[in-house]
Amino acid sequence: MKVKAIALNTFREAIRDRILYLLFFFAAAAIIFSRLLAILTVGDRVKIIKDVGLASLSLFGALMAILIGTGLVYKEIDKKTIFTVISKPIHRWQFLLGKFLGLTLTLLVMIGLMSLIFLAVVFAHTLRLEPRLLIAIVFIFIELLLITAVAILFSCFSTPILSSIFSLAFYLIGHTSWGLETLIRKLRPGPWRMLAQFLYTFLPDLENFNFRTEVVHGLTIQPKFYFYSGLYGLFYTLFILTLATIIFKKRDFV
Amino acid sequence: MSQPAKSEIVLSVHNLFKAYKTGFIPKRSPVLKGVSFSVQAGEIFGYLGPNGAGKTTTLKCLLGLIFPDSGEIRLFGESHLSLTAKEKIGYLPENPYFYEYLTGREFLEFYARLFPSDRGANREKITSLLRLVGLEKAADLQLRKFSKGMLQRIGLAQALINNPELVFLDEPLGGLDPIGRKELRDVIVSLREQGKTVFLCSHILQDIEMVCDRVAIIVAGRIVAQGALEDLISEKILFTEITVSGVPKEDLENLGEFLSVRGERALLKVYEEPKIDHVLRLVQEKKGKIHSLVPRTETLEDLFVGMVKQG
Amino acid sequence: MKLSLSQPRLRDWSSLFLAVFLLLSSLVFMGLKVRCDQISRGRIPGSAIIYIPSGKYLKYATFGFSSVLADLIYLWAIQYYSDYSISDRFDHLEHIFSIIAELDPRYVDPYELGAIVAVYEANNLNLGLKILDLGLEKNPQEWFFPFQAGQLAQLRKNYELARIYYKKAMEIPGAPDLVKRLYAFSAFKTMDLETSLKTWLEVYETAQDDRVKKIASNHLYQVKAAIDKKVIEEAIGRFREKYGRNPYDLNQLVRAGFLKEIPKDLDGLDYLYDAQTGEVRTAQIWWKR
Repeated sequence: MKVKAIALNTFREAIRDRILYLLFFFAAAAIIFSRLLAILTVGDRVKIIKDVGLASLSLFGALMAILIGTGLVYKEIDKKTIFTVISKPIHRWQFLLGKFLGLTLTLLVMIGLMSLIFLAVVFAHTLRLEPRLLIAIVFIFIELLLITAVAILFSCFSTPILSSIFSLAFYLIGHTSWGLETLIRKLRPGPWRMLAQFLYTFLPDLENFNFRTEVVHGLTIQPKFYFYSGLYGLFYTLFILTLATIIFKKRDFV
Repeated sequence: MSQPAKSEIVLSVHNLFKAYKTGFIPKRSPVLKGVSFSVQAGEIFGYLGPNGAGKTTTLKCLLGLIFPDSGEIRLFGESHLSLTAKEKIGYLPENPYFYEYLTGREFLEFYARLFPSDRGANREKITSLLRLVGLEKAADLQLRKFSKGMLQRIGLAQALINNPELVFLDEPLGGLDPIGRKELRDVIVSLREQGKTVFLCSHILQDIEMVCDRVAIIVAGRIVAQGALEDLISEKILFTEITVSGVPKEDLENLGEFLSVRGERALLKVYEEPKIDHVLRLVQEKKGKIHSLVPRTETLEDLFVGMVKQG
Repeated sequence: MKLSLSQPRLRDWSSLFLAVFLLLSSLVFMGLKVRCDQISRGRIPGSAIIYIPSGKYLKYATFGFSSVLADLIYLWAIQYYSDYSISDRFDHLEHIFSIIAELDPRYVDPYELGAIVAVYEANNLNLGLKILDLGLEKNPQEWFFPFQAGQLAQLRKNYELARIYYKKAMEIPGAPDLVKRLYAFSAFKTMDLETSLKTWLEVYETAQDDRVKKIASNHLYQVKAAIDKKVIEEAIGRFREKYGRNPYDLNQLVRAGFLKEIPKDLDGLDYLYDAQTGEVRTAQIWWKR
């Protein structure tokens, strides 16, 4: 399958990128360091380990997705390696999808490794395996999928530096959309309010994938929320990838 | 795959227009201003032009890397963007860059998988291709350790991986040493002997002259000449270059142009035929020697330079 | 001349498909978002703020955005503390407000809010006072901080603390006269009658309008009455020790030599005396004069 060939090739290339290992090192260091921090706390020690661990997975995962994703398409265009690929009997969307899946696979491996370290540290502390931690990790991964798609989108038309900035902006907006909601409550009904409401619904809400607080504090989550949240992630990712395809389709490779 | 009939047109380009929008306030700078030509099956077609004339732009349009503003391109009678048309072509870009960390074999495997094919057949194909381009020994070497010549050759292998009917080569001979160039020329000719068509983009005229059947010359975005080489270049002798020794310079002065004088030898460029006889008589009289006598007909270079000057 | 109709049409079909898919997927995810919002979750987002470490260097770590961050964290804190479903939200009250103070020590509102939350909601007067102390420390010219501290202490009937704070507030230039009156009042409540009298006298003399003068005069009456009452009752006590009973009237104390003279109230009226109980009262109600 053509998409598979490109995906595997992308995976091979991405997994060689040294940035991955640097970020992995920092994440592992943070998780292990949290164990030390836990000793200093008074009270529930495991909470800090869980909090720091999940936050590291999320943050460093996002950085990996952004730093590698923003170069994926741009590098091919810049180094002209794309010429020999696009001139083959392959649809442009197949190329893009292959890139996306390749990076996804890379992230799967990295998150998997980081999760192992994290779960090992938690296990060492509690001597228990908590399935809810896995759920939190799965949704962190879903969030990363969306961020990857965004990084690739920007990579189709913008330099890596600009793309990284835009992707980071997306990440920030995604995590502060509740602020917009608060603002909406204070607005009087009218055109501004409608605009704000539209923006609020359209802009990404990455907090939908954030189960870290619930998992760490032991709060309940309604199962149907997982379902809707997961679908949300899927469709938003499809949306971004479609947008990327439209832009990439018309692109002249000068 | 059946070979098309000899005079069938495999590639036809009609009225291509393309302008680039450059700068912050987009200003259109036109590159292709109505390019039309056609390539017949089984020939080696040369596409030449000075730098910046639009050669690469045309080629990229043909391959679907760039979208022309208007015009039509048909490959094997179909749209040039259709996948079935693309299955029959191969492309070697200028100064190819490839994925550095792949080995030669892995590289070719990757491209093979972009075509409808199966694994087993691929392996054999790849081995024979590597042999064809002389890279068997480097099959398991990473591409970043390849020399430029080796990169060129693996690029050619990649262009041939699907046994294409039409092969596009963009400046394939640049940067090669004389041996490499001869080898590549031989490969190109052998492709034609296999019944394939070759589209050769170049500005090295000697090579074009040596291998091509038909050419098109593009200058400033327009095709200024198109046809079989023998039709475009007349057989008329333009001048004769004679190398003599033993004849005093003053006697030769008004017979022609001195191209070089080294010690006893003088290289003289003589335009008119009677003057050649004159020179020969002088040499006999003075008991001198003729080292060489080369009549020069119009070359492609002459044609080319003339076309560029006109454009 | 062949017109190139077929190629653009092929491209247009797939572009159209993509555009439609784009629109559809956006509608779907927007719908899903609305659905997700309807499902309540047990927490307020942004609570990771709790884990920001405090310390002197926090400000420098924020690269010049410290005051914006302070604003944002303050905004978040307001939401956080209004959410009554979070039962353990007071655990980090001090920490959060100290972070805001470090990021932007001159931002006055958070100190006030933090103190109010601490006292009214978390029922922790000391914490509230601590926050206001911090505010005063970083903003020595803000009389409002010790003033509010005094108010909160007064609310919790800790007049000693209230007095101390009102004094502090009084001494900051720009504090309104009201603070002085509150100081005098608290002094009275802590039975520091001398200070109270002195201060009310000052207020009376510096009063700008009749209303304040009247208030001061009433309070002076009250304090003098308290002082006088103390003196008289102390004499009655001594009388009782000697004679084993209460005097029949106050003049008896003078005749017996326990008092030089009977003090009169501020308006020159006599105090009322109940021989049965030995209690001394004012003839007037101090605030109804």
